[in-house]
Amino acid sequence: MLKTLCKKVLPGLAIAALSFSATAKETVFVGHLADYSGPTAFVGKYYADGIKDTLSWINLQGGINGTMIETETVDYAYKVPQAISNYKKWKSRKNMVAMQGWGTADTEALISFIVKDEIPVYSASYSGHLTDPQKKNPKTKKAAPYNFFYGASYSDTCRALVQWAKEDWQGKGETGKPGFVHIGDNHPYPNAPKAACAEYAEELGFDVKPPVVVSMKPGDFKAQCLSIKTTGAQYGYVANLGGSVVSLIKSCNTVGTDIQFMSNIWGGDMLTFKAAGEGIDNYVFPALTPFWNDDVENLKMVKDIAKAANRDESFQTHHYIRGVCSTLYMAEAMKWAEENGGITGANIKQGMYAKQDWIPEGLDGVCLPASWAADDHRGLNSVKIYQAKWNQGDIAVKQLSQVTLPRREDWLGY
Amino acid sequence: MISLSMRPCGDFRTSYKADNQIFETSTIRWLVVATIIALCFAPLVLDAYFLTLFIQVAYLGIAALGLNILVGFTGQISLGHGAFFGFGAFASAWLNNEFGIPVWLAIPLAGWLTMVVGMIFGSPAARIKGLYLAIATLAAQFIIEDFFARAGWFSGGSYGAAAEPVSLFGYTLDSDQSFFYIALFALVFMYLWGTNLMRSRDGRAFVAVRDHYLSAEIMGINLNWYRLLSFGISSFFAGIGGALYGHYLGYVSAEGFTLMMSIQFLAMIIIGGLGSVFGALLGTIFIVLLPEVLESVVALIAGTGLLPAGSVAESMAYFKEMAVGLVIILFLVFEPQGLAHRWRQIKAYWKFYPFAY
Repeated sequence: MLKTLCKKVLPGLAIAALSFSATAKETVFVGHLADYSGPTAFVGKYYADGIKDTLSWINLQGGINGTMIETETVDYAYKVPQAISNYKKWKSRKNMVAMQGWGTADTEALISFIVKDEIPVYSASYSGHLTDPQKKNPKTKKAAPYNFFYGASYSDTCRALVQWAKEDWQGKGETGKPGFVHIGDNHPYPNAPKAACAEYAEELGFDVKPPVVVSMKPGDFKAQCLSIKTTGAQYGYVANLGGSVVSLIKSCNTVGTDIQFMSNIWGGDMLTFKAAGEGIDNYVFPALTPFWNDDVENLKMVKDIAKAANRDESFQTHHYIRGVCSTLYMAEAMKWAEENGGITGANIKQGMYAKQDWIPEGLDGVCLPASWAADDHRGLNSVKIYQAKWNQGDIAVKQLSQVTLPRREDWLGY
Repeated sequence: MISLSMRPCGDFRTSYKADNQIFETSTIRWLVVATIIALCFAPLVLDAYFLTLFIQVAYLGIAALGLNILVGFTGQISLGHGAFFGFGAFASAWLNNEFGIPVWLAIPLAGWLTMVVGMIFGSPAARIKGLYLAIATLAAQFIIEDFFARAGWFSGGSYGAAAEPVSLFGYTLDSDQSFFYIALFALVFMYLWGTNLMRSRDGRAFVAVRDHYLSAEIMGINLNWYRLLSFGISSFFAGIGGALYGHYLGYVSAEGFTLMMSIQFLAMIIIGGLGSVFGALLGTIFIVLLPEVLESVVALIAGTGLLPAGSVAESMAYFKEMAVGLVIILFLVFEPQGLAHRWRQIKAYWKFYPFAY
């Protein structure tokens, strides 16, 4: 009896155990924190859709060299406790190798944990202080070696806009010092580029005016628009997003401010422009990808990703496309890791450094070429600058320029 | 002070000492001690997920107890508790980074600093009460939040502040397993302190101020002082909770200590039971676990494949947010006296089982 048991059952069990461990090895877990219902959901849901669709699309294409990505999307509603507990759950129970995160709240709450656990986090929080992985700049409070993002930091984007403004000013044949003003709430996200950008504007010869505080919550901003008018600035950096920007544009239109608005990356998209309507007059905003209906061949892949997830194929915001880029950069680093010792967090981090000026396969013209280095996490130093204009019920968007910034030492992490 | 009402017949106390016991019976005392000893072994069996939930309960629970001392015991109101919590977190990181004070000492010092700030913002309580006081403390919330964003020397402004992990005798306690013990120690220590405070002269004065301030004054209680003291103690607890939070995360960001957090603290003590030390803990556990439980329900429903894939996560997300609100409303309707009251009823039921009267 015992013999037959040994002969028949045990090998079976062994095979079952082996095959189980084999299948277990063929998936890796990637967590995804999204904001679908919280205060930043206005843009967060599009970015999150981009990530979610791309993760499932990667599996449809056969995964990372045959390794499937197991994933879970959690709406943490921009709440720190939920972000922490989900992170811990994924880390201890699912053996997470990388995470796609969202905003300042979750990214900064996890900043120490991910270093200890060696889990790279790709976020959409483009704060400059996440770009200094070795704390080279004395201004950096905390080194963030496992934080990555696809994009130019808020500070660099603002610097690029200021540089454009300088050229615009000279191009118009104006003389004298142009005025520059920061318009945004007194919160970490609008404040992130405030000092860095003002410094650079001064360097370029702008007359930097005292910042005007405008709430992140939509409201009647006529009083603030009057203050903007009183500053006499010709260029204003809009640091807020969503409904607040719409309110600002509408209020300032009523007041009649004669200022060139330049927004941050989250403050300019088709939904904002449509809501603001007639107020959109030469509104300048940055983008790090082309737009949905641009004539770019490789956008077809992005559209395929959306199609596979039953999304509306006629339009998605550029935040969606940025989500796709962020995920595919991670996927490519995972592929490198798979070929160089296995998909672990530390290897994925190395995979990010493997190439310079690189674009995920098949996305030429969609994502901009990016480089990460062990001592410099400024992925992009190039920003495309666009202009939107209201045109009888339609919004006309045209590219003004593409500004490439030097990778200055003193700008690292700042 | 432990539940003066609802004492079953036959349970007589013949001395003040017996009346003031922390634990009603020795069985309860031994059960509590056994639970704490059992918790000491928790890091050996539980994974990081459960440990992090416990740590969350600990630092939020300490702050919630502070608010319960102010609202539940003294009858004041504060809408700025979240900001005091944040002040504690920044203060502890600041004391450690700027002056090199070791973290284990910086945490209580941050509590004292927060106490001072709390007393400053609580000083209107000397003159106003009710809704007016609520609005005055609301101002504290906004002023302190703005201070975090502006005071670069203190909070690092929009860059936030790094908070070193706790080091004791050369060991760095930066994992969930090791920080668990700090959280456990702080929780037990602060709750014992809170319970003891309520048995003291000051604690009785708080309750007197709440129940009838005129009578309290006639009995010789200095109303202004006790209202102010209550604000101070409440902020002290918030500061300790916040400091633990900061050193657990290793980084403090000016985002997150919003009005929503203050409201959440109020929700904790209302659900747990106003004027109950144990209730503050129960309410915190409830608020921390509710989204986690709903999360797993959502995952379960999505996992069955009954609903079309793709949109499930999004639609479930909204369902989850609404469910949190719904559960809280149902709770207030059916259990207005909080979890602490329900807990006493359950205890009473089992005490006399099966011959309940």
